Amino acid sequence: MEKHFSLRNGPEPADFRQKLKIVIALLLIIFSVLLVRLWYLQVIKGEELRQRSENNSVRFRKIKPLRGLIMDRNGLVLVDNRPSFDVLYMPHKGKDHEAVIERLKNIYKSRSLELSYDQPFPKKVKPYLPVKLEKNVSMEKVAIVETNALALPGVYVDVSPVRLYLDGEMMAPVIGYTGEISKEELEKANDEHASGDVLGKNGVEKYLDAYIRGRRGAELVEVNVYDKEIKNLGRIDPIPGYNIVLTIDADLQKAAWQAFAGKPGAAVALDTRDGSVLAMVSSPSFDPNLFNSGISYELWDKMQNNPLNPLSNRAISGQYPPGSTYKLIIAAAALEEGIITPEQKIFCNGSFELGNRTYRCWRKKGHGYVDLHRAIVESCDVYFYTVGKMLGVDKIAQYAKLFGFGKATGIDLPHEKSGLIPTKEWKMARTKEIWQVGETVSISIGQGFNLVTPLQLANAYSAFANGGTLWRPHLIKRIELTDGSIYKEFLPEKKSEFALSKKTIDILGRALWGVVNEPGGTGSAARRLNSDVCGKTGTSQVVGLPESDKARREKKISAFQRDHALFVCFAPLKSPEIAIAVILENAGHGGSVAAPIARKILDAYFEGKKKLKPAQVVAHHQLPDKLQD
Amino acid sequence: MIFLKFDRRIFQYFDWTLLALVLAICAIGILNIYSAGFSVSESHFPFYVKQIQWILLGLFFMITAFLIDYRVICQAAYLIYGISIALLIIVFFYGYTTHGSQRWISTGFFAFQPSELMKLALIIVLARYFDNHNSNEPYKLRELFIPFVIILIPCLLILRQPDLGTALIIMLLFASIIFFMGVNWKSVAIALVSSLVLLPLGWYFLKAYQKERLLTFLNPEHDPLGAGYHVIQSMIAIGSGGVFGKGFLNGSQTQLKFLPEQQTDFIFSVFAEEWGFIGALVLAIMFMSLILWGLKIALHSRDLLGTIIAFGITALISWEVFINVGMVLGVLPVVGIPLPFLSYGGSAMVCLMTAIGLLMNVSVRRFILQS
Repeated sequence: MEKHFSLRNGPEPADFRQKLKIVIALLLIIFSVLLVRLWYLQVIKGEELRQRSENNSVRFRKIKPLRGLIMDRNGLVLVDNRPSFDVLYMPHKGKDHEAVIERLKNIYKSRSLELSYDQPFPKKVKPYLPVKLEKNVSMEKVAIVETNALALPGVYVDVSPVRLYLDGEMMAPVIGYTGEISKEELEKANDEHASGDVLGKNGVEKYLDAYIRGRRGAELVEVNVYDKEIKNLGRIDPIPGYNIVLTIDADLQKAAWQAFAGKPGAAVALDTRDGSVLAMVSSPSFDPNLFNSGISYELWDKMQNNPLNPLSNRAISGQYPPGSTYKLIIAAAALEEGIITPEQKIFCNGSFELGNRTYRCWRKKGHGYVDLHRAIVESCDVYFYTVGKMLGVDKIAQYAKLFGFGKATGIDLPHEKSGLIPTKEWKMARTKEIWQVGETVSISIGQGFNLVTPLQLANAYSAFANGGTLWRPHLIKRIELTDGSIYKEFLPEKKSEFALSKKTIDILGRALWGVVNEPGGTGSAARRLNSDVCGKTGTSQVVGLPESDKARREKKISAFQRDHALFVCFAPLKSPEIAIAVILENAGHGGSVAAPIARKILDAYFEGKKKLKPAQVVAHHQLPDKLQD
Repeated sequence: MIFLKFDRRIFQYFDWTLLALVLAICAIGILNIYSAGFSVSESHFPFYVKQIQWILLGLFFMITAFLIDYRVICQAAYLIYGISIALLIIVFFYGYTTHGSQRWISTGFFAFQPSELMKLALIIVLARYFDNHNSNEPYKLRELFIPFVIILIPCLLILRQPDLGTALIIMLLFASIIFFMGVNWKSVAIALVSSLVLLPLGWYFLKAYQKERLLTFLNPEHDPLGAGYHVIQSMIAIGSGGVFGKGFLNGSQTQLKFLPEQQTDFIFSVFAEEWGFIGALVLAIMFMSLILWGLKIALHSRDLLGTIIAFGITALISWEVFINVGMVLGVLPVVGIPLPFLSYGGSAMVCLMTAIGLLMNVSVRRFILQS
């Protein structure tokens, strides 16, 4: 002790060196125990364990879950699952990759089939990472691969569920599609995702992916040398995803989709009483089934660069000038602000002078003296130029915002656009220029800076029809568990309410009825017996065209610069139920091309309703009985 | 201030052996993590790249911990301890959960595991305590009450996460230090008896999976598909490596992903499969050298403070190495302790590198502090 003290010239705990000896002795003991164990495993039992690892016939296999079904409001299945067979190759099983692939090709060739893998076989393979040779192969190929297992070491078939979109094109922009998780998505995800997982990539599939995708399962299986399963050693079942019930009515959707016949445009039908989406069509569309097993690069490129943009959902992300459909808002604002009386007449001679500019009415020879009712029925532009100028841009914007324009509606879908309602302030901030009165004149008939989505239009008319309630449109009705019980119900949600005077509602309601039902009305193509359809046509200019209409009449302008045709309506006049907005891109006049589409949707709605009524009555009678139990 | 004065002797007497040993083990770790992730299609930043980043960050902290005199660091011992406790409490309330336990604080850029920092803080705070309460007599139970409380608070917080492995390491660390400081044998006996009484109580603290792991350890083959599966696959991996190993990137157990947690807790199995007994022996000798070198530093320290710090750090590394290797070799239960410098993990790597910095600190100041 003394010696250590003097040597180290500092204080020291009792038996310091002694303890260290014990510590080192203990360390050596533990060390040798571990080394002996290592020796035992690696040297004595090494050969045996090497055998076991080589024959390690136990495979840990992930099982992809079934994604939840997606159904329409009546329980009709729109999206299902089906098995897809992929041909894979495990490099460490086959000694000569090229030869094995060549052999597979030859076997295929003898049956006049072709090997359809899109990427060339990777030069450097990782021995234990399977290479996907073919995706989604026919049963014939599955049989060939299975029966030739001996000749094709390392080649095997893997089954996994993929999406089956029934009536795919009709629903694709709304429902979206699925695909394998991308590298970027994998980067962002933490533990819950692994490569190869299938995710919803757009629409409902994306919005509700967390509910739809279910949970991965796993199993341990014993396999023979050909990787065929001989014994299942244990399994955690995958949990299928929850089923989704949409508010969409498949019949209505189909009628709307067929009415478009592939022409570019969009239609939205809302229930005015709760904001649920009855139909939402965006055309042209795409086949979502193509994305299931990885889409080829050329096809993807083609879709991306298609000027008609089939991948987008125009109903929520297409932004258009509202054209004359905007006149409802101008009229409501003018009446509420007391700027005009319904009886007051304005003379239309076919044009409106402001400074040295001339703004034309769509009817060149003019409408003569028109009151508010006729101005809406015949869509007189000069009347609204005059009224709009009196209102001023900010008053117009104030009312437009009440009707839900200029702001995303908050629908339960990704990628919704908010449109644009200009104000003086906005223009100053944006362009550093002062607002011009001429621009107010333009926006009075829904041209100029104004941009709206078809969904916003339908929702605005729906709000007018139901007396001022702006619902948050929704198309997801509920999420169900696999056994059909309700997991989560989405109730209608009021975004805001505004009060128009009863008189205003009455006058404008009748005017919109007149548009469809009175002689001279621009929307007569949507007329339906006993349905009291009320609506408004619109024609929105795509670009500022030369003031002379000559070129337009002679159709000398390119297809993409032609006017968009719009029609927005609701029905019936008394106690309205449905509001519809239709837009056809570059198609000309709203009354003649958009209104007929709305008419077909209305037909489907009112005819379908006749069939449904009894069922609803029965359901109402059953409920109280059950509650009493 | 002599402590902060920049002294060229800290380079003259720099402990190159220690640095070389640690960096060599880290390098083996990187190769190994690369192999473990080889057949797994990973994201843009594979684990081995991230591990290199962690090592670089760790080196920065190592240098910091090396440059500031350890006596200055120990002035702040209770502050460091307090911060660590605060972080553990934050984890308790706001930490995020993976694999069923709540261990992490997410800062947005990276996640941090305060329990790793706690190990280091405890070494510093215990060193400070025993340095202040130095006695040449063995400590009695009464005298050990305060250090016991110091250890108990983080231990309970960590058990609640739950992280049985780390809590166990902390208790072993405490036991090692008090053994080293000298403890009255009667006290030990009392402590042992009372903890035996408390043991059944502790059983209720354990989560179902932890109970299962303990039961599986007692009888590994009873559940060959569940918890036992991991140990069996790990033993197959190690054993099949044989004397010379299967070669880099060629371990079938690893590449076919039979090994659970093969980047972290079971990283030694990856190494033993691909490099065989020879490789494992070399690695074991490197670890053993590191440990003995640490004890040497403890022995030669000029003051008690340095001795305890060096001994504590060495004890920490030893326990982690032995428990981890024992676990993958199937001689200890699976408690989820990473292998120092080899397992993938940012917090552990940075804290260990800091610890090595402290060790160097003690090592070099032996030549500087001529009191």
